[in-house]
This record gives sequence, structure tokens and C-alpha cells, in this order.
Amino acid sequence: MSLKNKLNRMKKQLTHVAPERETTPVVEVTEEKVSTQKVLDDVVLNELPVEEDHKDHFYSKRDQEIPHYDKWDLLQASSFWTEHDYVMVREVKYPLDHLHGRYRFEELFTVMEEWEDAGLSHPLSSSGKQPGDLLFFDTETTGLNGGVGNTIFLLGYSKIEKNEVVVRQHFLPDPFSEIALYQSFLDDVRTSKDLVTYNGKAFDWPQVKTRHTLVRDDVPELPLFGHIDLLHGARRLWKNELVSCRLSIVEQEKLHIIREHDVPGSLAPMLYFDYLREKDPTEIAGVLVHNEIDVLSLITLYTHMSKLVLAGERNHFSSLDEIFEVARWYEALGAYEEAKKHYKVVAKSTHLLHNKAKAALGHLFKREKDWDRALYCFEAVIRDKSSSNEEVCVEAAKICEHQLKDLNKALVYTQMAFERWQKKGSLLRQKQKVERDAYEKRIQRLKQKMGK
Amino acid sequence: MLRKKQLPELLKAWKQNERMKENIVQWTTIPPREPKTVSFPVEMDERIMQTLQKRGISSLYTHQETAFRHVEEGKNIVTVTPTASGKSMCYHLPVLQTLSKDPKARALYLFPTKALAQDQKSELHELVNETGLTIKAETYDGDTPANIRQMVRTAGNIVITNPDMLHSAILPHHTKWVAFFEHLKFVVIDELHTYRGVFGSHVANVIRRLKRICAFYGSNPRFICTSATIANPLELAERITEEPMELVDNNGAPTGTKHFIFYNPPIVNRQLNIRRSATLEARDIASELLGNGIQTILFARSRVRVEILLTYLQELIRKKLGPKSIQGYRGGYLPQQRRQIEKGLRQGDILGVVSTNALELGVDIGQLQACVITGYPGSVASTWQQAGRAGRRQDESVVVLVGSSSPLDQYVIQHPEYFLDRNPESARINPDNLIILVDHLKCAAYELPFKKGDQFGQAEIIEILDFLVEEQILHHSRGKYFWMNDSFPANNISLRSAAQENVVIIDSTERGQEKVIGEMDRFSSMTLLHEEAIYLHQGVQYQVEKLDYEEKKAFVREVQVDYYTDANLAVQLKVLEVDKIRTKHETDLAYGDVTVNAMATIFKKIKFETHENIGSGPIHLPEEELHTSASWISLPESILQTIGHEEVERGLTGAAHVLQHVAPLLVMCDRSDLHVVPQRKAVHSGMPTIFFYDRYPGGIGLSEQVYEQMEKVLLQAEQMIASCPCHSGCPSCIGNVEENGKELALSLLRVAQGGTIDVS
Repeated sequence: MSLKNKLNRMKKQLTHVAPERETTPVVEVTEEKVSTQKVLDDVVLNELPVEEDHKDHFYSKRDQEIPHYDKWDLLQASSFWTEHDYVMVREVKYPLDHLHGRYRFEELFTVMEEWEDAGLSHPLSSSGKQPGDLLFFDTETTGLNGGVGNTIFLLGYSKIEKNEVVVRQHFLPDPFSEIALYQSFLDDVRTSKDLVTYNGKAFDWPQVKTRHTLVRDDVPELPLFGHIDLLHGARRLWKNELVSCRLSIVEQEKLHIIREHDVPGSLAPMLYFDYLREKDPTEIAGVLVHNEIDVLSLITLYTHMSKLVLAGERNHFSSLDEIFEVARWYEALGAYEEAKKHYKVVAKSTHLLHNKAKAALGHLFKREKDWDRALYCFEAVIRDKSSSNEEVCVEAAKICEHQLKDLNKALVYTQMAFERWQKKGSLLRQKQKVERDAYEKRIQRLKQKMGK
Repeated sequence: MLRKKQLPELLKAWKQNERMKENIVQWTTIPPREPKTVSFPVEMDERIMQTLQKRGISSLYTHQETAFRHVEEGKNIVTVTPTASGKSMCYHLPVLQTLSKDPKARALYLFPTKALAQDQKSELHELVNETGLTIKAETYDGDTPANIRQMVRTAGNIVITNPDMLHSAILPHHTKWVAFFEHLKFVVIDELHTYRGVFGSHVANVIRRLKRICAFYGSNPRFICTSATIANPLELAERITEEPMELVDNNGAPTGTKHFIFYNPPIVNRQLNIRRSATLEARDIASELLGNGIQTILFARSRVRVEILLTYLQELIRKKLGPKSIQGYRGGYLPQQRRQIEKGLRQGDILGVVSTNALELGVDIGQLQACVITGYPGSVASTWQQAGRAGRRQDESVVVLVGSSSPLDQYVIQHPEYFLDRNPESARINPDNLIILVDHLKCAAYELPFKKGDQFGQAEIIEILDFLVEEQILHHSRGKYFWMNDSFPANNISLRSAAQENVVIIDSTERGQEKVIGEMDRFSSMTLLHEEAIYLHQGVQYQVEKLDYEEKKAFVREVQVDYYTDANLAVQLKVLEVDKIRTKHETDLAYGDVTVNAMATIFKKIKFETHENIGSGPIHLPEEELHTSASWISLPESILQTIGHEEVERGLTGAAHVLQHVAPLLVMCDRSDLHVVPQRKAVHSGMPTIFFYDRYPGGIGLSEQVYEQMEKVLLQAEQMIASCPCHSGCPSCIGNVEENGKELALSLLRVAQGGTIDVS
């Protein structure tokens, strides 16, 4: 039997492609949309107007060979030619005072100056960098997995260029043209120094490395970029507050960016496959706009997160929850002065977290052996009847016993801790026993020391 | 209390014991072999040589030296030597030799299981440490922590893994392994003989993919394979690697005298030809050996049997053994526990072990003195593997094969020469099975685009690539084929499961505590997992409450009943194309493509002891269709007249029962991989026909093999029936007691061999 017949007979068994298994989500895509480029959006979604023939005269001879070049032109895309091949590069420019969500792009300059002045070591810091160094970068791919066969068909970024924000998108018009894609992209980003991404450390950049490896003999090496991944910070700031830290949710809840007519990122692979069949950019235009908004939102998000982290006091844009998380972030980074500054803001408030902030302050003072201040903070927490934190009592007791040699007070706090602990009850019997022993031992020791 | 006997003494006693004498069908003594050694090759690295000398090794066995020399000359090799012959040195030595000169070089070791990989890692670590070479050897499998993986990828000289991991985790991420693939010098495939059938066909394709990736990174590794004794190691190695190979089989390892005893349990019911249970007999023999302090391994057929035998033996000889113990060993034990048992056996703290064929593979347990095999393991190769567990380099050893009452066992036990003189089976693979090939072409395209004219081993791929383009899985552009789909193809392809869509079996005995206890292919599920079926799992009975055929889930609940269920499967075979045919007098033997339509009709409840039918019910499941390859025997239509329609039907059924046992034996496959179906009037010809079809869609070459060896298959079936001592059929031959049953089946088998009918 001929192979062809066999193939057709067994079609069902052969083409069975199970839905992608739920593995670790490497990408966080799928968003709703803003009306940044609503005009374009409408044009594209409602079919592009038919072009008259004479339009061809404006195009070079080889561009006329590119399918639907006129539509690409309308999408503000033009060709980048290597010797035998081409890719499409779309370029859109915005003035610096353009408002994207809650900020104008030019506020990036302000926060970058603030980073410069702050002299802090922080993962978000852009200190020492020029605005033009930053590449706000995002990709669109043919799948969500991190394997070799997941092709990147769009390398998009926004950056500050002269006195404008430029969005540039390098688009793979045919899988054959990957060499041209990386030539075009690498040629273009030579002057950039740092990537700013959303989950780019785990997904986008490793995937760029993967696909680059396949064509590495024919294209320049990848530059060694610095990399600020905003997802990490977004999780720190909003993990408890937002249902998810997907960029779309953050845009909506934190950046005031509302997308309209958005093409969900999850549809990107399908739309690209459709495009490949027809080579009509209309199919893929929605994805281009989606990516454009992504890379613009990265500027707004970077601006906003920087402002939150840099603001040391009560202000109109950060909530007390955010200030508390910023404090914890500083503490984790070992920037204790900054951490204290932020904790104090929360501690002074009536916000639910004020006791936690005071306790955290207490620990920070304790680190500095500033026993009086540490005890002051712990005692403030203890005085609040609504708090039942026995660990804080123990902390206070330790300072009284070992540092201030106030055994009476130490005993009082230890007993208080014990009572609070007993009231709380524990589900874990084994742990309970260990903890009870620890309390009893401490009380015993204090009583001995006091000669009772 | 009786004095403990040494093995030679015990054997002498057996020879004189009346009862034993009666049941021992054959006692073969295999004489000892002297070691054959050669001095170390001159080019061998000084550090490696000193390490061996420090271990008291002053020369190499002949096969080790040959392997070393061939690999040094740049050849691919497959070594075939028995258990405990220092096989792993055949690859360790040449690999370390290369690494001693080129610290950047890499080697990939493939083992069929994680346990074997772990074993080899420890052995390799010791060896490497003693040489003082700076060589990193690490396992890379599902248990490897994420932080170590990075190190293994970038710096592991020897990466020890399994084919599944290579398929789903390494190849689809090859860009993370650039340095590894660029410098890959060796691919070691240990236990090559396990890669046969569906699994082997998959693995051959994984190797095709591996070679493609190597070519992309500019490397061209040598292959070093080792195999247990099979008939066609060279052919198998060449099919799996698609490279020219050198066979290394000049075994130089010594062995002591080995006694091979064929033991047939006594008949307890002559009329029905029923013998005493093989399990009980094996238990008695093992306990006598253990009772005399002889280190023994007892092989049982199933996990449940292992547990039963273990409990009994532990009870029986607890007092005699003192601190030494008897352990079980089977799949399902934790790796840690297994390691302890292996160590205990090596050090002699464990006197006895009861095992499934899990210990057939090369796990190092040292060499024991005695081996008792309960029931014929199903193939000559497998039997030798199990028997190889007994046999020390100097001492005597004994292997006792205890036959069960299955037709195959009875045939083997009554024809010891069949086993002893016979070459072990061939291992077959069919890497070009369409379904398997297409699956791996998808993975390969995912890993690297195909160019027109690209090779994928010896497979014809251009039509398949075009087909995948039509199906919008690949995209064709300027002579290249690109993966253009959002899935990760390796995820959907399991190297070990036969079918793509399996039914999962869910134990819902406890509400809210549902758990998956197993899976089964769809085709088998029709007869084994229909509603009300009794499903046996690790000795526990479950009743199927609900079979959700759409969602591919079977919900079962634990029960205790005294019956099992047996379902009828109505099978229709349509011959689509005849590829090969030959004629024997009035009989046609043929091979080709068929469609199998199967529908489960009814099931019966059958009582355990008495086999009476105590109830039945309908099965409501849709028809299943399977495209596969088949071979068949078409008998002349005229016999319907000469013998009678009904008689032909009975004869065919009886013959098919025997053939179902014989055919898998000859083509070395599992019984469930090859089905035998008799038809009084085949749809395509109207002739009385017996079909042999591959259970795996598309076929994996089993039925083709049957076609090639049909004469042998038929002759053996005939002998099996003729030599069965029963009067008119029994479960050991044609399946049932039937008047004239044996004669009918025999005459049809003679006709099938080109003879004529002579019904007495």
C-alpha cells in the first residue's frame, strides 16, 4: 500500500495533537486592551481599504514582491533586507508627553533622575544609565512552552530615542527568514544596554537565546544586556492584593490602562499560523498592536514601580500596603535605613498593618543594638490588645533580660507571651510540646535568676 | 537437627531421591569455563591501569580487550556476554580512556531504568575517584534537582539517563546543551535487548533525533552497546543506531559448573492433565535450598506471587536462618529499599530473594548459588538472564526451572532440547511503523526544521512531511519544513505505552479519596474494563462501576468475589492489501494490511474453582477500529465439505489457542502484542483462515516475522498438541476438553503445512 494511502487512512491517529499539558506557566500573557492606537485597530479589524495600483510606484522593486506590501505600509511597517531575504519592521513613534495610563512617558526621565540621586542599590535602580539605554522588551511566540520549537515571530520593544518614544517591532514574515530577523534585531539594538521586561528572565530572553542558537553561525552574538524583570517586583508589591500578577491585571488595577478591542495574547500563535497561510498582515495586525501596548505599558509600569519604591513618605500614589511591601523589599535587600523609613510611615498610621510595621521596626532596631528603641516598638505592639503576638512579647522579654537586666519586666513579658500562646492553641501536638517546654524553661530560668 | 548440606551434597541427594527423580525431566550439567585474559592494551592510560591493578586486576578478559581496541579504532560495537562478565568495563574503559586525553569530551549513557542508571553512577564514581581523573559523571532524570541540572548540562562529562528523558527533556531543549552536543564522543546503550517491540521502535527514532542534533552541532558520536544474549544482537544494534557495528562476543569471563534442572510438577489428575501448582513446588525446592544456607533467588511471574512466596518462605525458615533474611524485590518498592536489598545480597546478609523479572536486568546483586524459576519466563533469552543470576566464578551453581501447566511451559519442560539447543530469540523492532515514525518526525521537526533531502535514518519521510504540512502541523517554505504548532509534541508521546489514548483506572472505593491505580489501552479496555468487569490489580479484585469511554476513565471499587469475568470480543478482519504471499500445496500463507473491527458483545461471570458460568450480561461499547498489519493462513475451502463446517470451526479454535502461545514465543514479544483470530470464512476470501495481527496500530513487524517463520510456528504448534499427554484437549494445548478436538486441530495444522487431511 502506498505511504500516501496509509497516511490518509490513519489520519486520525497521526494528527492527534493533545492540548498542551498544564506545565509550569512560563509566560504570563493574555491581556485586555487600551485604546492607544484605536484608529489603527479599527482600520485593521474592519479590513484595510483597497489600495489603488498607482501606490506601487512608491515602493522599490523588491518590496513590490512582498505580499500585501501596501497593507504593511498602512501598518507603518517597512522591509529590512539582507542579501536575499527580508523581515518586516514596524515603527511607531510617540511624543514624550503622551499619556499612557497614569503617566506621561517623560516621567521616566524624572524617576531615572531620582534613582541617580537616591544612591541605592536596588533591582529596579537605573542609576548610571541613560534613558536611551533601556529597551522595554517583549516577544510573541508560536507556543507557550520553553522548548526549541517554540518560534519567536515578533521581537518588540519601546525605547527613548532623541525626543520621542519609539516602538519598533521586528516581525518574522516567514519561518525561513529567522536569520534576517536576528540580523535586523541585533543590528537595531546595538546601542541599548539594558532590558526591561515582564517575566523576560524566565521566558522571553532564554527563548531568544534558544532561537538564536539555531542561527548562531549566520548572525552576530547576542549582546550581554543588563536585565530588569518587573514581574519579580510586581509580585513583591501586589501578590496579596491582586488576584494575579498578570500584566493585564496590573495594567488595569495599577496603571489605569484599559485596553479596547484587544487580541488576547493566547491567540497570537493561531493568528500567526493564519497569517502564514495567507501572508496577509491583516491577520496579525491585532497581535502587533497588542505587543505595542505591552512594551509601552512597561515604561509606565517601570515609572510607577520606581515611584513606589523611591517615595519615602506618605503620598498620593502609594497605598499603605504598598509602602509596607516596599519596606519589606528594602529589608530583604539589606537596605535597613530605607526599610525603617517606610515601616515608620505604616507604623504611624492606623492601617491594619501598623503593628506588623512596629514589630518589624523593633527587629531592625534590635539589629542595630538600639535596645531602647527596639523595646519601645515591641511594647507598642504589646499594648495593643487586638494583637496577640506572643513572639513580640518574647522579643521584649529577651531585651529586658539580657540587655536591660530588668528581670521583673522580663518575667512579666514572658508570662504574657505564655498566656497569649496558650490562648492561641496549636494544631500540631508535637510542636506544641516543644514550644511549651521553651516557655517553661524561660520562666524557670528568670525565676532562678531573680532568686525566687 | 539435620546438619546443613553444601550444594554438591544436596544435588547428590536430589539425584537419589525417588520423588525428585520422577519429576526431573532433564538434568544438564554445563561444564566450568576457564578465564581467558589478555594483558592491558599498551595505549591504556597509566592512571586507569594503576586503578585496575590496585583492585587486583592485572589483565582484561578477552571481550573487554576487544571492545577497547575496536572503540579506540573508531568503531561502533555491540558486546554480548552473560551476566557478571564485567560487561560494563567494555564501555567504561574506552570512555575513560578518551576522557583522560580530552577533558572536554562528553559521553551519554542510556539505561532502560532509573535504578540501573543510579547503579552505574555509583560504580562509575568509584572508578573515576580511584583514577584521580577530573571527570564529572552525573545522572540526569526526573529526580535530578533543578540546581544540579544546569551543572550537568554545561559541565557533565558523562551524562547518565534513560531514553524517555532524552526524548522529552534533553532533545527538545538541545540549545541548553550546546557544549554537550558539540563534544559528544560516545553514546552508550546498555541492556540493548530491552529495546524491542514498540519500545525499541520508539527508541530507534529517538536515536535518529539524537543523531540529527549531533550533526547540527558538528559531532558524530560512536555507539557502544551491550546486550544480553539474543539471537540477533548485531542486527538489533544496527537497526537502533543505523550505524555499522562490530560484534564483540568473545567472552573471557570464567564460570563454575552449572546444573540446569527441568522440573515438572507431578500430575494430580491424569484425566484432565492437571499438575500440582508450580508455585508450591518452587516454594518447596527453594525452602530446601535456603534451609541448607544456600543463597538463592526465586523468580515468580507476578508481583502477587512474589508476596505469597515471600510470606511463606519467611515463615517456614525463620528459625533455621538466624539473622540472615529473605527479601522480596519487585517494582513498587522504593528505590532506597531496593538499594538496601541489592547491597544485602552482595554482602551475603540476605540469603534469599523472591523477585519478579525486575532483577532480570543488570542490577548488581553479586552472584548467587541457586536460582529457582517458577514457570517458563516466556523466552529463551529471558530464561538465560534469570538463570544467569546463579553462577559463581569458581563454585558450582544450580538452576531449577519449574514448569506450570500452561501450554508453553509444558512444551518447554517436555522438550528440554528445544530450550537447550535453541538460539535465543531475535529482538524485533520496526522504527518505520507509521504512527511511531510520524510521532517522532513531529518531535524532530520541533527540534530542527527539515530541509528537502534531509535523512531521518532510513525512513522515507518526504511524503510524511508533506502530509504534516497539509495537516497544518508543519509549514513548508522554500524547501524547508518548520514546526508551526503551539504544542510541545514530546509531551504527548510516551515511549513505553503502546497506544496513544489510554483509559485511566480510578479506584473510587473511598469517596473523596479517588486515586489512579493504572492505565490500559482502549482496545483492551473493551474486554477488561467494561461495566461490571472484575479487574485484578496487584492481587486485589475491583469491580468496574463505570466506564466513561469518552473521557477515557474507568471507575472501579474494591470487592471480594469468587468469580472472574470473561468478555466476548467479536472481531472482524478485512484484508486491505496483500503484500506477500506463498502457497503450500492447497494452503496460502500471506502477509499484508488489515482493518480489525472489534466489538465487545457479552461477558460471563465464571466461578474460580469450578469454572462454571454463574451469570452474564451485555456490554454496550462502540466498535473499535484498528489498522494494522497481519499474516494469515488460508486453508482450502474444500475442507468445509470434507470435514464439516462445525468441525472446521472447532479445529480452528483449538489450533488458534496453541498458536497464540507459540507465535509470541518465536517472535519474542508479549502475548498481548500479537493476537490470533480464527475465522471459518474470511471476509476477503471465503476460506477458513487463521489471522495473526499486530495489536499496535500500524504494526511493529511481529506478524511479518510470523509470516517469515510460519513453517516453524506451525510445526511447533503441531508438536505441542501431539505431545500433550491429555486425552482430548486440555488447557495446556487446545484450551478445552473436546471430543476429537486434538485430532481436528492437528489435521488443520497439517493442511496448513501443505499436507492433506487424514481424519481417522
